[in-house]
Amino acid sequence: MNEVCFKNLDKENPASLATYELTGGYKVWRKILNGELSPDQILAELKTSGLRGRGGAGFPTGLKWSFMPRNQEGQKYVVCNSDEGEPGTCHDRDILRYNPHSVIEGMAIAGYVMNATVGYNYIRGEFMEPYYRFEEAIKDVYDAGLLGTNIMGSSVSFDLYTHLGAGAYICGEETALLESLEGKKGQPRFKPPFPANVGLYGKPTTINNTESFASVPEILSRGGQWFADLGVENSGGTKCFSVTGNVRKPANFEVPMGTPFSELLELAGGLKKGRKLKAVIPGGSSTPLLTAKTAMKMTMDYDSIENAGSMLGAGSVIIMDDSTCMVKTLTRLAHFYYDESCGQCTPCREGTGWLYRMLQRILDGNGKSDDLDLLMSVQEKIIGNTICALGDAAATPVESFIRHFRPEFEYYIKHGKSMVEIDG
Amino acid sequence: MVDIEFEIDGKLVNANQGDSIISIADREGIDVPRFCYHKKLSVAANCRMCLVDIEGNPKAQPACSTPVANGMKIYTKNDKAKNAQKAVMEFLLINHPLDCPICDQGGECELQDVAMDYGSDVSKFNEGKRIVADKGIGALIQTDMTRCIHCTRCVRFGAEVAGIVEMGLTGRGEDVKIEPFLTEGIQSELSGNMIDVCPVGALTSKPFRYEARTWQMNAIQSIARHDLVGSNIYTQTYRGKVKRVVARDNEVVNETWISDRDRFSYEGLNHESRSLSPKIKKNNEWQDVSWEVALDFAVSGLKENTQMPSQFGVLASKHSTLEEFYLLQKLTRSFGSENIDYRLDKADLSIDNSLSSTITLAELESIDHALIVNSYLRLEQPMINHRIRKATLSGASVNTINIKKFDFNYGISLEVLSAPQRTVSMLQSVLKSLHEKTRTTLPKYLSKTKTDVTHNKIADDLIAAENPVIILGEHINSNPSSSNVVGLISEIAALSNAKIANLSLTGNSLSAERVGFKPANGGSDVTSMLSGDTKSFLLMDVDPNYDFISSKLATDTFNKKNVFVVSLNSFEDEQTLSSADVILPLACFYESSGTHINFDGVAQSFSASVSSPGDSKPGWKIIKVLADLLGFEGFDYTDSSQVADDALSIDITVDNNSEVNIEVSEDSQVTAHWQNSPYASDAITRKAKALQETQIGKINDAFVSDLTAKELKLSEGDLYHGVPVSINDSVAEGCVFVHTYQSRQG
Amino acid sequence: MISDQSKKEIDFWVKKYPEGRESSAVMQALTIVQKENNGSLTNELIKEIAGYLGMPVISVQEVATFYENYNHKPVGKYVIRFCHNISCMLNGSDDLISYLEEKLEVKTGEISKNGLVSVKKVECLGACVGGPMCQIGDQYYEHLTTKKIDEILGNLK
Ligand SMILES: Cc1cc2nc3c(=O)[nH]c(=O)nc-3n(C[C@H](O)[C@H](O)[C@H](O)COP(=O)(O)O)c2cc1C
Ligand code: SF4
Ligand code: FES
Repeated sequence: MNEVCFKNLDKENPASLATYELTGGYKVWRKILNGELSPDQILAELKTSGLRGRGGAGFPTGLKWSFMPRNQEGQKYVVCNSDEGEPGTCHDRDILRYNPHSVIEGMAIAGYVMNATVGYNYIRGEFMEPYYRFEEAIKDVYDAGLLGTNIMGSSVSFDLYTHLGAGAYICGEETALLESLEGKKGQPRFKPPFPANVGLYGKPTTINNTESFASVPEILSRGGQWFADLGVENSGGTKCFSVTGNVRKPANFEVPMGTPFSELLELAGGLKKGRKLKAVIPGGSSTPLLTAKTAMKMTMDYDSIENAGSMLGAGSVIIMDDSTCMVKTLTRLAHFYYDESCGQCTPCREGTGWLYRMLQRILDGNGKSDDLDLLMSVQEKIIGNTICALGDAAATPVESFIRHFRPEFEYYIKHGKSMVEIDG
Repeated sequence: MVDIEFEIDGKLVNANQGDSIISIADREGIDVPRFCYHKKLSVAANCRMCLVDIEGNPKAQPACSTPVANGMKIYTKNDKAKNAQKAVMEFLLINHPLDCPICDQGGECELQDVAMDYGSDVSKFNEGKRIVADKGIGALIQTDMTRCIHCTRCVRFGAEVAGIVEMGLTGRGEDVKIEPFLTEGIQSELSGNMIDVCPVGALTSKPFRYEARTWQMNAIQSIARHDLVGSNIYTQTYRGKVKRVVARDNEVVNETWISDRDRFSYEGLNHESRSLSPKIKKNNEWQDVSWEVALDFAVSGLKENTQMPSQFGVLASKHSTLEEFYLLQKLTRSFGSENIDYRLDKADLSIDNSLSSTITLAELESIDHALIVNSYLRLEQPMINHRIRKATLSGASVNTINIKKFDFNYGISLEVLSAPQRTVSMLQSVLKSLHEKTRTTLPKYLSKTKTDVTHNKIADDLIAAENPVIILGEHINSNPSSSNVVGLISEIAALSNAKIANLSLTGNSLSAERVGFKPANGGSDVTSMLSGDTKSFLLMDVDPNYDFISSKLATDTFNKKNVFVVSLNSFEDEQTLSSADVILPLACFYESSGTHINFDGVAQSFSASVSSPGDSKPGWKIIKVLADLLGFEGFDYTDSSQVADDALSIDITVDNNSEVNIEVSEDSQVTAHWQNSPYASDAITRKAKALQETQIGKINDAFVSDLTAKELKLSEGDLYHGVPVSINDSVAEGCVFVHTYQSRQG
Repeated sequence: MISDQSKKEIDFWVKKYPEGRESSAVMQALTIVQKENNGSLTNELIKEIAGYLGMPVISVQEVATFYENYNHKPVGKYVIRFCHNISCMLNGSDDLISYLEEKLEVKTGEISKNGLVSVKKVECLGACVGGPMCQIGDQYYEHLTTKKIDEILGNLK
C-alpha cells in the first residue's frame, strides 16, 4: 500500500523537496539532464508499465504522449489536470498536499518527452492549501536549479506555472480546462481537432491527470515492469482510491490494481454497525451504480469493474448502506449535473434541468406514474448526443439508479415518501 | 484538390480534405437540419441538431464539425440520425415559448421549419418553461430572449464579422443568456446582420415589429445605394409599403451581409415631411397644384429666368440613379448649358477626380497591406471595411494618414495624424522616401521635401508588401488641394506597385462619372454656378443644408430673389421650401427603378419595390417630361431600362485639361473638416428614425487638439458651429474635425 | 477602483502566460478584485478589469458569471461554503446545514443580520473523505459536527 503517489505519506514533511529527494526524487530528472535517458526509452517504459490515465477515461499514458508531434516547430504545452471535482474524489488533493514534487517531476519528464518547454498545473480554485504547497514546491525546485532554461547546462528547458480555477466542475474536462486556462468560460471544445494538435493557445498540448503525472517518476525509477507487476493484466500499478460515504473511516488508499473491493471496504473501516451494504458507485458519481451483490464480487481494476457493469473512473468509491434513500441520492446527483452543465450544448443544457426537476418533483411528493419511463427516455436522449462526456455523466446515474432500484422509486411516487426508514 | 471519396445517403461524392459533412451535404442538396452552423461563421457545434450517423461510429456525429474522410459512409436520414435529431429538437422546444402567432420570425423561423418536419410529437415536458428577462440592446434590434436557443450565431457574428465583441453568452448551464454587457445599445455599424443570422425570433428588427407577417410580404430584389458597394438586398413589402430590408447573397458584392444603413434607411420613406404633391411658390406662398400646372410653371420659370443657356445650372445628389444622371445631363446639354455637377461637397474642383480604383471588392480581401488616407473606413464604407478586416485577420497590416485617430475594428500599425492642409506635404515626404528607397529619379518638386521615420515607415511598408492597396476616403473632398493629393497618391501607387481604392466618390458617383455629369467645354462647376451668374437651377434630390461644402453659399444663392429654383425632392424641408420656387415630388429609394454602379464598375439595375406615395414620381420620368416640355428631342423613353442602355452605351468623355501642380506651399491656417455622420449621409437616411437613435446616429462632436483649441479659444463643451467641442489628442494639430448628424453651418 | 496592490497581484499572474495572452489572468484578476471588494464584484470593477487586461468587457462578464466563486451581490464578511454533494450528504451534511441556518438565523444564500456570515450550499469541494465539510476563505473544515461548527462560528469575528 502507498507505494507510488503516497509513498512519502508516513514521512515527516512529506511535501518537502528534501524528503522527496531522500526517497529517490528527481533521480530520473537528473538522468535526463545528464542525457542518460531518451524520450523513446521513457515511452517504452511507460508502455511496459501499463499506466492508464487516472483522470477517468483510463487512456494509456505512454500512447497519449506518443501522439504529440514532438518534432513540430513551435511552442508545445504540458498541462496537469488538478481540477479534481468528481463527487467522491479527493486523492489528487492529497497528492498535491503531500507529494507535489512527484507531479512536478512527472510534468517535467513529460515536457522533455514531448518537447514541450512550458507546463501549467490547473488547480481548482478552492484548493488553496494544495495551491500554496505546490507553489512552494515549484519555488524550491527553481531554487535548486532543476527548472528553467537550459537546466543545469543541459539543452533541456522546462518552465512550470500554476493556474487557479474559480469553481466549475466542467473545467475538469480537458478541453474546457484549456479554454479556462486561456481566460474564457470553461466550455468544452468539440473534437476533432484534438489537443495534441490544437490545444492551449492553439498549440499542441497534452493533458494528464495529477495522479498520472505523479506516477511517472516512480515508474521510470523502478522500471515499467515493476509497476506493471504491482497490478493485474490491463491495469498496471497501484491506484489511489477515495472511499467515502457510509463507511466508518472514509479515507484515501493507494492499493494495487486488482485489490478485491471487499478488502478496500475493510480498509475504510467497513460499514457502520448493523448496516448492510446497499449499493456502490465505484468510480465517482459519473460511473454507473452497482448493487451490493455485484460490488462484493469485483476487484478494483479496469476490467473487473467493467465486467461488473461500471467503470473504475476516477477511483472514487462511494458506499451506500441500507439507510440510503436512492431517490434523494439520485436527486442530489442530478442537481449536481444540472448545476454544473456548462450550458453550451442543447441536450445537456436542457436535459439536465429536465431530469433534475422531475426528480425533485418526485422527491417533493408530486411524482406521476409515468415519470420513471420519462426519466429513462430523457436520459437516453442525452447520451451520446453532447459535445463532452458531462452529458453522459449526467444520464448515467439516472439510468443505473432506476434500473437497479426501480421499486424504491415507484414506492416514492406512489406514497410520496421514501420506503427507507432513515434514522437520525 | 478533390481528394476524398465517400458516401452520403448512398450517393458517392468527392470532397477536399477538411471539408465538413454539412458543407458537402449542402452542396449535394441533402437537407441536414442545423441551427448553430452558418457558412460564414466559425463552427460551434453546440446546437447538436445536425447529428448524422457515420457507419462504424457508436455515437451520431455533428455534420457541421466532422470532417469527411475517405471511405466514410454517412447517413443523414436513417433511424439513428433521425432519432438523434428528434431528441435534440425535443430539448430545444421544451423551453421555447409557443408564441409563434405573435413572433415576427413566424414563417421564416428555422426552428419552426424543422419542428414541422419532425411532426406531431407532443412534448412530455411539464416542469414550467424558462422565461428570460430582456435587456434592451438599442433602437434597431428587438430582443425576445426567451425565444433564444443559444446557438451563439449572434455572438460569433460580433466577434468574427462585426469585429466588436458586444454580445456574449453569460452564466452557465440552464441559466446561460445571450446579452450585451450594458444596455447602452449595440455600437456596430453591421449589427442588423444579427437579425438575419438569428435562426429564431430572439433577435428581430425593431422598426419592423408587428408590422406584418413574413408570409404576407413580397420580396423584391433591389440594390442599396448609400455607399460604393451597392449591396444586394431584398425589400420586403406589404400593401405597397416597404416593411423591411434584408440582405441578399452576392458573394462578390456584399457576401451575406449588409450595413445597418442599408437595412434601416427605408424607414425614411414614411417620414412626415415626404413631398406628396407638386407645389409652386407664388408671392412667397406655397400652393399645391397639379403636375401640369407645376411643370408649366417650372418650364416657363426656367425659360424666363435664363437669358442665355450658361445661366442655367443643374445640380444632383451623388445618390441619384444612373438614369437620372444621364437624362439630366442630356437635358442640360440640350439646353445648351454645360453647367452640371454632382460634386457638391468637394472643395477642389480644379480637376476631374480621376483617380480610378484598380482593385475589386473581392480582391480587397487578399491584400497584405493597406494605407488608408483620409477615411473613417468603418463608418463610411462598412462592407469595404469588412473586406479589409478579413485581410487583417489573415495577417495584413494597415497604416493610416488621417485627420483623427478613428475607431477601427482591427489593429492599425501606424496612425499618422495630418491636418487637411498638411496632407500634401505629408504625401510628398512619403513619395520622396519611396524615390530614395527605389532609387528612382527624384522629380524637381520634391528636392526640398524632408523625410523622417514616419514617412520612411509608410514607404517601407508599401514596398515590403506584395499586395498593397492605397485607400482614399471621403475626407479628401473638403481638402482644397485634393487634386494634389490625388496626384501624389497616383505617384506613390505607381512607385510601390500598390493598387488604388478610391472611395471618395461614394454613393452613385460612379454613375455620374460614367455619363459625364460634370462641366465640360468651359461649363461651370458647382462653386462657379453658386457664386456666378446662374439664374435658374434644377436641383435633383438636393438638400442645401447638408449637401454642399458651403451651405451658406448654396442657401444664399438659392434664396436670391432673381434666382429660379426647381427642386425635384422627396422631402419638403424648411430649407428646400425657402430656396425653391417649384417642388416636384420625387420618388425615393425603392420607389423608382434605376441603376447603381458600384466600386467594381458593375452596373446593378433594380426595379421599383413599391410605387411612390401621393403624386410623387420617379426622377427619370419627371426629367423626361420636363425635357419634352422644353421641346427637346430624344427623350422618348418608355422604360428606365432604355435609358440605362443608352447611358451605358454612349461614351461620354469629359475634357480634362487641368494639370496637376504638386508644388504647393503649406497653409498654416486652421482648417475645419465637416463630416456628415454616416446616418446623415443622404436624405432618406436622415429621415430614418431608428438609425438616428443609435450610437452612430447620435454622433455629434467637434474634435480639436489642445493647442489648436487654445488658438481658437475653444474649451471643452463649447459649441463650434453648433457642435460640442471635444478637446482630444487624437486629432491632428491645426484643424477641427466635425463629425455630426447636424446640418452644416457656414 | 482596483488598488495598486491588487494590480501588482494581477501582474504576478499575467507574467505566467505568453505575451498577448494576458486574458489568461482574468480569473485570478476577478478573484483578487473580488477579495478587495469585500467578496463581490460590480459592473464597474468588471469594466476596469477588462480595461486592465485589454479584453472586451462582455468577455470578462462571461467569465465572471460562469464560475461559481464569483459573487455579484454583496456577501457576508465570511462566506461559509457548505458541501451538500453525495459523500457529504451520506454523512449528514443536510442536517448540519439546517443546524447552521437555525443557529445563524439565515437561509442559504443570505447574509446574517450582523453582516458577518453568509451561507452557500455548494457542490463537491474535493475533500470527500473529510465530509461533511465546508470552506471558509482559503480554509477547509472537515469531519464537521455540530460541536465543531459552534467552535468555528465562535472564532469568526
Ligand atoms: C465532465 C468531466 C469532468 C472531468 N473532471 C476531471 C477531473 O476533475 N480531473 C481529471 O484529471 N480529469 C477529469 N476529466 C477527464 C479529463 O477530461 C481527461 O480525460 C483527463 O484529465 C486526462 O488525463 P489522464 O489521461 O491522465 O487521465 C473529466 C472529464 C469530464 C468529461
Ligand atoms: S455536454 Fe454539457 S458540459 Fe459538456 S459541452 Fe455540452 S453543455 Fe457543456
Ligand atoms: S449545426 Fe451542427 S451542432 Fe449546430
